[in-house]
Amino acid sequence: MARYGMVFDLKRCIGCNACVVGCKQENSLPDSVLFTRTLSEEYGVFPAVNRVYIPTLCNHCEDAPCEKVCPSSATYTRDDGIVMVDPDKCIGCGSCAVACPYDQRNEMHADLFKDGLFGTGELTPFEEQGYARFTPGMVTKCDFCSGRVDQGLDPACVVTCPTDARIFGDLDDPDSKPSKLIRERKGRPPLPEKNTRPKVFYVE
Amino acid sequence: MATSSNDLPIVGDSFRVGYRFQRYWDTPMANAFFCGELGAGIFLISAFADYKIGMLVGLLVTCILKTWFHLSHMGVPLKSWRAILRPDRSWISRGLMSIGFYAVFGFAYLGLTMLGLAESMGIPEALVSLTKGLAVLSALVVATYQGFAMSHSTAIALWNTGAMPISSLVYALAAGAMVTLVLGWNGFLADNLPLRGALVTISLMLLVAVVITLLSLLHAAHHGSPGGRKSVELLTKTFYSQWFYGITCGVGIALPALLLAAAGGSYAAVLISAAGVLAGYYSFRVLIFKAGLFEPIMSFRP
Repeated sequence: MARYGMVFDLKRCIGCNACVVGCKQENSLPDSVLFTRTLSEEYGVFPAVNRVYIPTLCNHCEDAPCEKVCPSSATYTRDDGIVMVDPDKCIGCGSCAVACPYDQRNEMHADLFKDGLFGTGELTPFEEQGYARFTPGMVTKCDFCSGRVDQGLDPACVVTCPTDARIFGDLDDPDSKPSKLIRERKGRPPLPEKNTRPKVFYVE
Repeated sequence: MATSSNDLPIVGDSFRVGYRFQRYWDTPMANAFFCGELGAGIFLISAFADYKIGMLVGLLVTCILKTWFHLSHMGVPLKSWRAILRPDRSWISRGLMSIGFYAVFGFAYLGLTMLGLAESMGIPEALVSLTKGLAVLSALVVATYQGFAMSHSTAIALWNTGAMPISSLVYALAAGAMVTLVLGWNGFLADNLPLRGALVTISLMLLVAVVITLLSLLHAAHHGSPGGRKSVELLTKTFYSQWFYGITCGVGIALPALLLAAAGGSYAAVLISAAGVLAGYYSFRVLIFKAGLFEPIMSFRP
């Protein structure tokens, strides 16, 4: 069984946020709900100033704190390592949201589904078909586009990225592209001191 | 590549690297925690003083107000029963179970004693005492589990300290002692002046314990991680300092301690002290949620 993970190549990311748009479209996310973000940071002193873009999403941790604290068993890990949220079991208590060190949980307030993307109170056909997968009030997150992965496809953010800054694959396969990148360019997880063993790595 | 830095800004929801406020648990959750711990505290102190009206008030505060605020916080309130399913790993589940036990044994004990059911049904005294003991044990869990639920979050450094469940317990007991004093002052305590004096002394000692716990909490957060340091700065130097010093410390601790020490025999002083302790306790509960920060996942700043 594969163990899926992702590598972000910080040298390649140009901060275009196409991944953010691709994710919103693929997952039919309501207004203000984001499963991925590309953060930016400026550092240095003029004239030696630089800007770096840091993509973020759920890290699908091996030792996921969100799963450990979930009182209703809504958060679970698939055999392939993808951490999922069951919309039928989630009670929206938010304990996963305050347990995630990466702030990658999203509250799907019921109002979001009523107002619609245009704030008119009417849902477009696109929203109607997309919102069916969410329970209003639940807390959810990125699932590595598990539906696409099950069909052998890469997540939407990966295929949307114009610079190949997001690399998805099997971390257990030593010959996979992410495994090689992690090995050769010393990939490191975010906030390693939190001991969550993320399956998302950054290479410079 | 630095992991995080205390110099980074608080960035809100923007696409920048920095600290982010946790807003998932906000005022409704603070209200629920406050009511749960206050009710359990009143119950515990009243059980110690064998004051059944106080025990009833404590049970009602926890079972009605805490439940109401929790349900108002839940995203899917109709499925809230599912929160009981994982006591093996979740403090929310353990807390919900303890509230259930607290309500069952608490109301059973009051029914047996206040309504005289123990005598009419011929229930032995040992069984009545056992019911009270189990209710007290459950109330202890209710008074502390919210602190454990918060302290288990490694994501928010301000909460991730062993002082958090202790702060829940000492605040619950301090507020419980003050409310019990107010409720019973002209009732059962009027006939039992040594107990009244003891409760005033206990209240004073609990306020000292609150100060020690608060200092421990802030110290642990400050030295725990950059995020904890930033949160402590929010509480003591920047955004929330006027509320923290004014309400939590001034009105909630200093004023009642002075009043109780100087005029502990006066009902007016006890009444004002109780109001102060409750205000301070509530502001602590709200501020501890407001000042919780997520740390930046990484930073390139030197």
